[in-house]
Parts: sequence; structure tokens; C-alpha cells
Amino acid sequence: MRFLRLVQIGILTACLSAYLSRPADAQGAGAVFRQNCSACHTIGGGHIIGPDLQGVTKRKDRAWLVRFLQNPKTMIDSGDPYAAQLVQDAPGRMVMPTAAGMNPDLANALLDYIEGGTAAAKPEPAGATLSDRPFTAADVAVGQQFFLGERPFENGGPACISCHTLGTIGGLGGGRLGPDLTNVFDRLGGRKGLGAWLSGPPTPTMQSVFGKRALQPDEILSLLAMIDDASNRSHPADNSSVVKFFAFGFSGMLVGLALLQIAWRGRIRSVRRSIVRAHVRGGL
Amino acid sequence: MNVRSQISMVFHLDKCIGCHTCSIACKNIWTDRKGTEYMWWNNVETKPGTGFPTDWEDQERYHGGWEVHDGQLQLKSTGKAKTLFNIYHNPSMPTMDDYYEPWTYKYEELFNAPEGTDQPTARPVSMVTGELINIEAGPNWDDDLGGSPIYAASDPNLKGLHHDTQQQLFAIERLVFFYFPRICNHCLNPSCVASCPSGALYKRGEDGIVLVDQKRCRGWRACVAACPYKKMFYNWNTGKSEKCILCFPRLETGQAPACFHSCVGRIRYLGVLLYDASRIEEVASLPSDKLIEGQRSLILDPNDPEVISAARRNGVHDSVIESAQRSPVYRFVKDWKLALPPHLEYRTLPMLFYVPPMSPVMSNRSNGSLDHVSGDLFHDIEEARVPMKFLANLFGAGEQGPLRYALRKQQAVRWYRRFKTVGDVDEQTAVRMLQQADCSSEEAEAIYALTSLCTFDDRFVIPPMHREEAIQMMEDPLEHKQGVGFGFLSGPKRGM
Repeated sequence: MRFLRLVQIGILTACLSAYLSRPADAQGAGAVFRQNCSACHTIGGGHIIGPDLQGVTKRKDRAWLVRFLQNPKTMIDSGDPYAAQLVQDAPGRMVMPTAAGMNPDLANALLDYIEGGTAAAKPEPAGATLSDRPFTAADVAVGQQFFLGERPFENGGPACISCHTLGTIGGLGGGRLGPDLTNVFDRLGGRKGLGAWLSGPPTPTMQSVFGKRALQPDEILSLLAMIDDASNRSHPADNSSVVKFFAFGFSGMLVGLALLQIAWRGRIRSVRRSIVRAHVRGGL
Repeated sequence: MNVRSQISMVFHLDKCIGCHTCSIACKNIWTDRKGTEYMWWNNVETKPGTGFPTDWEDQERYHGGWEVHDGQLQLKSTGKAKTLFNIYHNPSMPTMDDYYEPWTYKYEELFNAPEGTDQPTARPVSMVTGELINIEAGPNWDDDLGGSPIYAASDPNLKGLHHDTQQQLFAIERLVFFYFPRICNHCLNPSCVASCPSGALYKRGEDGIVLVDQKRCRGWRACVAACPYKKMFYNWNTGKSEKCILCFPRLETGQAPACFHSCVGRIRYLGVLLYDASRIEEVASLPSDKLIEGQRSLILDPNDPEVISAARRNGVHDSVIESAQRSPVYRFVKDWKLALPPHLEYRTLPMLFYVPPMSPVMSNRSNGSLDHVSGDLFHDIEEARVPMKFLANLFGAGEQGPLRYALRKQQAVRWYRRFKTVGDVDEQTAVRMLQQADCSSEEAEAIYALTSLCTFDDRFVIPPMHREEAIQMMEDPLEHKQGVGFGFLSGPKRGM
């Protein structure tokens, strides 16, 4: 029995490693680029959050790039001057996340793809499909509905408020799992940057949640309108939602205690003491 | 007919001197462990008084026992929905103060106190918290009418008594009290067993002793609320409930329970009764004026051939049947109708019976001598210091008839013996009293013998418990035959 289970695990591991270490062809690398990189980078489309990658292999040697791709954070922490400069230039000093399943083969394949990207069909920069029209009040209202989960996303993604707080929206604030979104508009490079980010979120958490449930362009537009509106209105140090949350919990506790008191009002508190007290009061 | 055997008891209150020896014997054997300090499986109360825990007889407060609801017998304290609702907090529990906070004294302070002008004292400390406490209550706080304006005046059995009668009870030269020793009644229809959500309580098949399985008890304490006699106790140290076990390890080795054995006044009798288990629900649902007769009808004549054969069919051992035929309890309860169950209106059908106490004689002073022979021979009973109604509330489910019968018979036997030994009563009067009390002279002699001349073996007719047969229901005695002499009680655990 146990031997069989070991065999099963062995077969599964073999399949998985074969899948992960498969030679990444240019076509596969294109898909990986669209999924992981295009939220922040373009190839010849200009700077959005991260730098334009056209000619990146000429700007820096390939060995360095492969190392950087595998773990940007370590490179930055090691004090590499070029990496440090990249962080300086990024909006909000954002560190580039490591793409899932990154290895030297995949990194090389990606660089090949970027080099050829000028010759081959250019990948459409993410967020390029978003309209440039000015936000309307209707956009803000719809965006708020998406944020609060009152209106479901078409592909079934979860509402933003389940993990994020944005100003005082929702009264008691939102979830505390993800980062506070109050200043996200500035942090991620305004309308264009944030739009690209939402089109293909690169962080591992967002990707695992929205990877298969991508947001639609009109949904992103409404969210952008609403986030822009909220960040214009919210005071950065507004923590009234925390106070409200505490007050809500405390009053809930009081109501609960009152209900228990009503339900068990007939309970025995003390028989002997009440007899003695009644007698003493009755006048000895 | 579903004949079963039950170890039953009679306490002869007319003989109880209230010495608490029974309580101490029980305490020393069973409840001197941590968590049981406050428990008194056996306690002696003074009546009138509120007892232990305070006012336990007031079921308006404690919701113990059964009630008949639309012809159905139901627990007062709980039901299926109520259990669910109250499972984490039972509202009908006595508080620790209603029992009492057990305490000891800092005796070492008597020796360690620095030299001073005062006598050193041993201050009381709680045995629960270890803090210094002011003692406000104890298990027999109202002993001998202590604090009677508060405690005795609050006795629930005074309910229904005329105000003047209540006042007279505490008047000078009429003041009266008697003792009321209590243990678990090992009821036929135990409400503690019925209330347990874990099924930890059970009534032992072979002898009717009610026990708590300490492994199955989950400490819900539904039994504490459900037992109207408040003889279920929660051990705050082990988190399990405990109760009187009728000293079954002693019974199984042919000894009387410790409280019975140690009784100074020899008030306690123990013997087997055969009863019809198929009629328990029917009898427990009877209207309260029929309850006493109903419970008596449950108890079967052990000399009836039909009963004997039904008992044998049910697996009651011949030696138990033979023991039932010699049972002193059967004679007090069924033959003589002298012993009555306490608070039968709780409908648990208790199997501990009490011979009601005689009050002190009410006499008239005439020409410097006491005159207590009036035209009405039973004048003393009707005009007794303890009102009949009070005793009826306690032992007659509110009915005075069975109580009057038992007291008249007791008095007739006394007068008959006075005619025999002292000679100040003439034979005519004595015989007339016996006749009026529904008692023959042979019966009077038998009552006298079992009341006053009873030996150890007369009082305790303990049947062989046949544990060797009972254990075979659970275990196979041949299981380990031909096995090696040592090993594991439960198999060792190996592997994942």
C-alpha cells in the first residue's frame, strides 16, 4: 500500500518537473511575457511602471539579466548599483516581483523573445485596450459597486473589499490582507500604470486570484475612475474606519450580553443570600 | 410483569438523634478528595429548615424532578430543545453559596503568631480559592433550628399551613424540630438519569443503584439541575459529576453501606424489594393523591409464587428472592405501611422510605400532675407540635391520610407496649387503640421487635450481589484462558 503511494508520488513529481523544465520556445515565452511582465513593461511601447524593455539586452549583459530575473530582490539587496538605480526610478520604489516558475532556461527564453520582439509582432502593451475617455460620475458609481462586491465581476473574481481597504469606503473599511489602496493611484503610476497592472496583475497573490478570472477592460475603467475619485477625496491619515469597527464590535457585544441576560433572566443567582437579605430587609 | 430487584432503604426518624455520624463516615470514605470538599452524599437536616443546598425542596426555584404535562411525564428542568439552548449554561443550578464554600483554618498561625497581647487565632481560609473568607454558611448551618427566624421559617413544607399554625411552630414551649437524614434515594424513575445528555448516568440492572460513569460524564451538569433532592454533585476539580454510590463496593462484599453501619441510633434498614418495572411510567404519571398507593402497588410480594417465577424468568437469582422475603424494608413499607417516601410529588419514585417521627407529647397540667389521657386516644397525633400538614407536605405528597395511618399505628404500638411493660395503661385501652390503628397484637410485637430490639442482621438483609454473573454480561471470563500470565491491559499502539 505504502509502496504504491510512493510510486504515485514519484510519477507525479517526475511529470511536474518535466513540465516546469520544458524548453521554453518563443511562442511559450510570449504567453509568459503577457501573463507576467506586460502589466509593467512594454517592448517599444514606452515606460509605464517598469522601463521599456526594447533593447534591454544591449543595455546590460545577458548573464546579469538572467540573474536579475530569477530574484530581483536579492540583486537589489546585494547593493548592485544598476539594480539600485532601477528601484530609484520605479514609482513608489516598487521592487519587481519574481515570476512564478522562473529558472535560467525560462529567463533566456524571455530575453530571446524580447530581442526578437522588435522583429516579430509586437505584443500589445497591457492596458492599451483601455479607453482614454474622461471618467464620469456613472463610472465612479459602477466602480464602487464592483469594489464593494454589490456587482459581480464578469469572470467571477472576488470583490476588492475582501482583501483591501480604500479610504473610508464601505464604512468599516475593507480587508487587511492586501495593501491599503488609498494611495495606489499615485504609487502605481496613475491611470495608465494602474490600468496596465489591473489588466494582468503580476504579484503572486493577485495572480493566483485573478490569473484565471481576468478583469474586463470596462470593469478596470470603472475601478480606475472610482479609485481616482476616492484617493482625491480621502484624507491619507483617515483611520475613522478603525474606530467605527471597534465601536461596532463593542456595541455588538453589549447587545449580545443583553440578549443573554433576557434569555436567562430567571436563572438562580443565589438562593441562600436572597432569603437572608429578604429577612434582614423585612426587619429583624 | 417485568420483575426486578432493588436495594431499598428505610430511615426510622423516630430514632434519629441528629448526631451526623453517618455524614462523617461517608465524608471520610468518599468525599475527602480535592473538588469534593463541599459534597455531602449523606447529610442530616433539621426540620423545619431549609436544608442543604439551601431550600432544595423549592422546585419553583430549582426545577427538579418530573411534571405531568398533557398526560406526559416530562422533566421540569430540561427537554430536547431546552438542553440545546442551555447546554453551556444551566440556569437552574444551585450556586456555591447555596451549598457553602468549604473552608479550613490556618492552624499554623496558632503556633507561628508573634508574641502579643491577643490570643492567636486560626483564621478560616476557603478550600476552593485558598483566600481568607468570612464564613457565611455551612452544610448544616440551620442545625437544631440555628437561625430559625430565617431558615426554619423559609421551609418550603410550611406552604399551605395556616399563618397561626406556622407561628405556633416557633412559639415558646411548643418549639419543635426533628432530624431528616438524607442520601441518594436511588429512585425507580430517576430524573438525573433521564436528563444526562451524555448518557453517563445509569441504574444498575441487578440492584437498582444509580451510578455515574466517570468516563462518559462530560460535566454538562444537567443531572445537578434535574435531581429534585439535589443529591447530584459536580466535582470542580475533575469536571465530572458524582453522587452517592450506596457504598456498592461494601455491599458487594456483604457489608452495609458506611452511613448505615455507623448509625448510632440504628435508624437505618436495608433490604431488597422486588418491583414491576413495566408499570413505572404509569405510576409516576398518577394524580398526586394516588401516588403513594401507586408506588406501593409497584412493590411486589416476594412470597407470591407468580412473582417468584416472573423474577426467575428475568434472571433474578434465587438467593436475591430469598433475601427479598426477609427484607425489613418490605415489612415497613408494604406489610405495616409505616414508612413513606419523601416528596413523592417529584415523581421520581424514591426507594428510600421514612418512618415519620412522633412529636413530643402535648400534655395538660391538672392538679400539679401531667394529664395526657383524653377521651380521644389519638389526641396527641392530631394536636401534635409538628402539624400533620407539614409532615404530609414532606412525606405524603400533600396527603394527610397515609401519614395519619402511620403515626396512629406507631402510637398504638407504644401504648400496647406500655400496657405490657409499664402497666399504666389498661389492656382494654391498648387493644382498642390497636384495633383503631388497624394493627393486630402480633403485628404490634413485630413492629416493636424490628424497631427496638433489632440486631445488625435484622436491619441489614444484604443479598448476594452475584457480581460474577453481572460481569459476564460485559466480559468473557474465559477470554484469557491459556494465555500467559502477564501482558498489556490495553494493546500497545504501534505504527502510524
